[in-house]
Amino acid sequence: MDRWMAALRLVGVGFFIGGAIVLGVVAGIWLDDRLNTSPALGIVGLLLGIVVAFYGVYRMLIPLIRDKKNGESG
Amino acid sequence: MARRCILGMPRPLLAGVLFLFVLLFVAGFLVGPLGRSMIGDLGLPAWLGLPHPEFQLPAETAFHLFGFPVANSVIGAWITMAVLICLSYVITRRIKVVPGRLQSAFEFLLGWLYDLCRRVAGEENGRRFFPVVATIFLFVAFNAWLSLIPGFGSILVTSAEGEPVHLLRGANTDINMPLALALVSFVFVEYFGLRSLGLRYLGKFLNVGQFFRSLGQVTRGRLRAGLGGLFTGFIHIFVGLLEALSEMVRIVSFTFRLFGNMTAGEILLLIAAFLIPWVFALPFYGLELLVGFVQALIFSGLTLVFLTLAAVHQGEESP
Repeated sequence: MDRWMAALRLVGVGFFIGGAIVLGVVAGIWLDDRLNTSPALGIVGLLLGIVVAFYGVYRMLIPLIRDKKNGESG
Repeated sequence: MARRCILGMPRPLLAGVLFLFVLLFVAGFLVGPLGRSMIGDLGLPAWLGLPHPEFQLPAETAFHLFGFPVANSVIGAWITMAVLICLSYVITRRIKVVPGRLQSAFEFLLGWLYDLCRRVAGEENGRRFFPVVATIFLFVAFNAWLSLIPGFGSILVTSAEGEPVHLLRGANTDINMPLALALVSFVFVEYFGLRSLGLRYLGKFLNVGQFFRSLGQVTRGRLRAGLGGLFTGFIHIFVGLLEALSEMVRIVSFTFRLFGNMTAGEILLLIAAFLIPWVFALPFYGLELLVGFVQALIFSGLTLVFLTLAAVHQGEESP
């Protein structure tokens, strides 16, 4: 993989984690306010945010890890 | 015998400049709040220092145009656009085979960006993505650099409410502009994804094929294979949902990355100039020039990466 592609992917990881968790929590709290379910949906939002964060990071990093393995074996 | 020069300056001149720099730094330290709190008030006139900086997070309305409020960050964005349009007109009006300084600078910059697009996205896709990526890069970088020009943030006008407001402000420091750019980037990613893969692109988000196939098997009585498939189908649907959510998260992370970095830079400059007035903020200006370039590169580069990922089928995605 091109060095730039790898570098840019890594640059995106940090803010992606923050963005996913913040978006989940904010959406959860907003829904809580609307539906009077506090704090259930806030917690669900937080958990969903964490899951999305991990999934996104996995998707961003898996080509890099695969690339490294290929480099080692080849 | 040629006189010895350092940094293109004869030694005595360099010594003079350095002396002036140190003098200004010491004087700034003495009149600034930092020096005054450490050494005590030396009775220097108050106008030598700077007033306490006040940073407004939301952009202020500079004036009304046809009844619409015009924020100062919008004027900053207009000026950036005007500068870019004028520059491209001036440069492309008379393109020479042996380029002048300005033409070579832009040829170098755009050539480098074009090369980046081709290396990341491949020959054909790189050419298709280049206009989007280069536009985002130029806008973000020039916006950041223009707002560093001394005086950009110091022009005050009287608002409709009779209060003094800043006429100009870097558009990147108003959260609406990074959000708009993030949405532009998002729309282009989806557009190129749909154009390259057609409806197959939507299958990434709505992966229900396996689920319905297994449901069919269950109804036909093949319970064992069907139930296992149903479970996998559920996972596919969940992964599709995560995929769709990550697209949304990208908008948020794009927005906050640019907004946060640019606003932090602006505040840093204000605080540095307030604590020790005059020359202390200079290194931070250098830093902010770099930050503007890096943020522009990150924003456009990540757009390029996501465009590339959207335009290739999941299975063929990089080795």
